[in-house]
Amino acid sequence: MQRYRYQDGFEGFLCAVSLCLVDGAEPTGFLRGTVETEPDLFGETVIEIATDRQTALQFRERFMKAVSQPAFATARYAFHSQRADVELLLWRYFTLGLKTGKRMGNMLADRDVATVDKLGRGVAHEAHKYKGFIRFRELKQGFLYACIEPQADILVFLAPHFVQRIGDRPWMIHDMQRAQAAIYDLKQWRLLQGVESSSTPEYTQIEEECTELWQHYFKRMAIKERYNPKLQQQHVPLRSRKYLVEFEPIK
Amino acid sequence: MTFYVPKQYYTFYMSNLDLKQRLEILADSAKYDVSCSSSGSNRKGVPGGVGNTASSGICHTWTADGRCISLLKILLTNSCLYDCAYCVNRNSNPIQRTALTPDEVVRLTMDFYRRNYIEGLFLSTGVFHSADHTMEQLILVARKLRLEERFNGYIHMKVVPGADSQLIRQIGLYADRVSINIELPSSRSLQLLAPDKTRQSLIAPMRQLSGLIETSRQERKQSRKAPQFAPAGQSTQLIIGATPESDLEIIRLSEVLYQRLAMKRVYYSAFVPVSSDNRLPAMAVPPLLREHRLYQADWLLRFYGFAAHELLDQNNPNLDMRLDPKTGWAMRHLELFPVEVNRADYEVLLRVPGIGVRSAQRIVVARREGRLKEEELKRLGVVLSRARYFITADGRYLGGIKLDGPELLTRLTAPKRRKAALDQLELFPPSAAVTAITGEL
Repeated sequence: MQRYRYQDGFEGFLCAVSLCLVDGAEPTGFLRGTVETEPDLFGETVIEIATDRQTALQFRERFMKAVSQPAFATARYAFHSQRADVELLLWRYFTLGLKTGKRMGNMLADRDVATVDKLGRGVAHEAHKYKGFIRFRELKQGFLYACIEPQADILVFLAPHFVQRIGDRPWMIHDMQRAQAAIYDLKQWRLLQGVESSSTPEYTQIEEECTELWQHYFKRMAIKERYNPKLQQQHVPLRSRKYLVEFEPIK
Repeated sequence: MTFYVPKQYYTFYMSNLDLKQRLEILADSAKYDVSCSSSGSNRKGVPGGVGNTASSGICHTWTADGRCISLLKILLTNSCLYDCAYCVNRNSNPIQRTALTPDEVVRLTMDFYRRNYIEGLFLSTGVFHSADHTMEQLILVARKLRLEERFNGYIHMKVVPGADSQLIRQIGLYADRVSINIELPSSRSLQLLAPDKTRQSLIAPMRQLSGLIETSRQERKQSRKAPQFAPAGQSTQLIIGATPESDLEIIRLSEVLYQRLAMKRVYYSAFVPVSSDNRLPAMAVPPLLREHRLYQADWLLRFYGFAAHELLDQNNPNLDMRLDPKTGWAMRHLELFPVEVNRADYEVLLRVPGIGVRSAQRIVVARREGRLKEEELKRLGVVLSRARYFITADGRYLGGIKLDGPELLTRLTAPKRRKAALDQLELFPPSAAVTAITGEL
């Protein structure tokens, strides 16, 4: 009866998985770094996992070689759903993969594989949607700033996309719910934890002008004979409108 | 009122409207062009540069009519020499005329792109002065974006019919996608509503584009240094419901365009009455359902191995509004069903109503590992509401009722019941098949 507590997200989790494999242990649960330890009622022990990049990379290599790169990518997406029991699910997924090898690619009808697949697709879908939904605003401090409140933890999927795309300006994408941010300093991007915004952001003059132009353009592009707010809401759910400038009232 | 001439070669005057007002007017004039996609091109960003393209395309927002915005869709000017009856910008329409300068378009594109409002630019225009002159202005914008701003995002450029073939050759060097709109599905309609244009004057440049795209593709197979020409191909648009063509004529035309001109997309635009011209039908609402059915049929041509003559013929020249065209086809061929999901070829699975490309692929893969029954199909994410009447799973027919035409038709066209409360527990419900409407793939 053992539980494993890991730090640092996916990398840490892979280290925990590696250790379980080495120990030959069947874990009863995984704890994320921030979770408080519950009272130890059943004599369970909690094993603390130190994150080691090399260990994580080795496990990644091993799984990709045994199964496939897409199967690993799916697991990574699924992990970032942060669903409550996702670690045990992925533990079963990883061990199944190491046991069955390439065949796992065909086992789409297996209960665990199907669940991981579905979770993974959900996160990948949300990350794709947010590649469109990010709205950068130019702050007086001289960088582009975007707020988001996605359901899954998708910053790691968004940041590389925007490094490619907006490489000539420093920027920050701020996940408000998780108080974390991806920042880019013209050389590389980093993930920062514990990022809170202390005051209301101050926008540049050009920013205000762009916002206004975009809002008017957006309004005009709708064809009134085709008015269909339900369809619009299917694509842009109310929860993702909070930081979309085109849905803010025009000043 | 004061006037100024923004460029010495503009032959008309712009009133002194500010940028916001001109943007609004030109958005109004551009919005009936339905092409929105930013897909089909995959260009990497350069270090420290601006822009890249994603081959899947990315939608950035959706307007109140439920259509996606992916590109800054705008006209350079809504001033036009032509008088096409169906067009909001026709010469005789008493709307306000204005223009943006090439520099203004470039600035708007860059400002909007940096803020991630858009994937890039879709630039169209009314024809002013001459086809060649108009085309030169479009090329100027594209060149500025690519060379001066080092912009690597998506560019979709309208090609002006009648422009010199050398100019057409140039635009494809900067644009990801190029398009010429046929608009009216038959020559006789074109003659009636757009007397300034002929079918030939539209098809000839489309053919040239198709040739240039193909040549560039071949050359790039030999050498990666060969210049790209419109890597995302060309598209066109047909207006639906302004003229009396049947769905059969429309789908046949699309089929020819896909086969002969390697068209990437044909867009269908339900006619919105933008004038009260007596050559046009009086309509209260645009034929949106018909437009939707045509998109479904179009998808069947491109991804499901259907031919136009299988979907429609002289006896059934129009799509059934009650059923999607694949179900319509299956209802006329009940003798082919049910099919066994564990044995049927991929091509056969694709023809089962309710089974899409992704489901068919997953079935083919998953059945290598074991027999698929109803439960397994559900786990694969196959939606059975329609499919169940057309398949057996491990020998068991899932439809419950005997496959008989009238009764089945009643079932399939019955209004959808509310989903059971259980469904709401799902974390990530599969997104609806509405992608076909927005045109994103």
